[in-house]
Amino acid sequence: MSAVRQAALILVAAVIPALLTGAFHHNRPAWSEPVAPGEERLETILGWGSAVLWVDARSEKEYAEDHVPNAIRLSLEDWDILFPHFLDSWDQKKKVVVYCSSTSCQLSHEVAERLEQSGIPSVYVLHGGWEAWKTRK
Amino acid sequence: MRNFPLLLLLLATPALADLEWETREQTFHAKASEKQVVAKYRFTNSGAQPVKIENVKTSCGCTTAGLKKTEYSPGESGEIEARFDFGGRTGKQEKGIAVSIAGEPLPTILRLVVDIEEPLKMQPQFVIWKIGDKPKAQIIRLTVADDVPAKVLSVESDNPMIKAELTPSENGKSYEVQITPSDTVRPASATLIIRTDYPADNPEVRYAYARIR
Repeated sequence: MSAVRQAALILVAAVIPALLTGAFHHNRPAWSEPVAPGEERLETILGWGSAVLWVDARSEKEYAEDHVPNAIRLSLEDWDILFPHFLDSWDQKKKVVVYCSSTSCQLSHEVAERLEQSGIPSVYVLHGGWEAWKTRK
Repeated sequence: MRNFPLLLLLLATPALADLEWETREQTFHAKASEKQVVAKYRFTNSGAQPVKIENVKTSCGCTTAGLKKTEYSPGESGEIEARFDFGGRTGKQEKGIAVSIAGEPLPTILRLVVDIEEPLKMQPQFVIWKIGDKPKAQIIRLTVADDVPAKVLSVESDNPMIKAELTPSENGKSYEVQITPSDTVRPASATLIIRTDYPADNPEVRYAYARIR
């Protein structure tokens, strides 16, 4: 048996159990980045259609440059000024989705928590934030 | 030559910098009247080689961190100053500061924990009636934190069509604000201005909202 055939056989013998382990093992690695509690992926949120009120937790400057269509800005710093505007756009049938710049920023989680404390139900955070929105197809 | 791979591995391993930190985590308790904390993280280069700090990044735009110089000789000390502006945040806040050092594969993480006093909690912060609903009173509950000697002095509505009445509990630590619209025939809104006596030098004013729509 040639060395090449031997190598191919070893490869096949290794790949089959590896695929089975990857598919069924209880400790198999996640194929995509894990989502933190309270976060939802963009594809899930887009599936909710128009029943979403987008909230931009980034800075005023970033919001002015670009934002999710119809998103309203909300920040902890200007809560007393911005929350009444949020309230005027919100209705109980809508899910609220908060985003900030990227996966690493915490502002969206902070704003989401404050919304929940204020009595707003169904508040979610966009996993990946504005960066994720920009990559949508 | 048999030991060549081991030699290669040793050569490829970067020399780890020897920064000794006085503390990597600091905890503060802040009064409601305070707006920021400043934490200093002192370190000493206890190694035999100079250490270069390549950058310092914070986990939140509300926190800035800086240092006076970036290179430290053996035995030299320095400090990173982190400033956390509360900007409306209350409760327990944890912020991270990542310090990247030349030759170190992972940054050193410093932690800043601040417990910011929240003298008054309100639940919920708004009440809503739909047009045509019965103009039944709705309640917003105010709770004063246990260790805070605050009192709610008054609640005013800026719309005479929507009235707000403040009722304290017997123990003085909680209040009910009863909000009643005169009718719900047309859209209306009101801001409820909640005045407290705490802190004495700059008493807190909170806002709640009522909507008919």
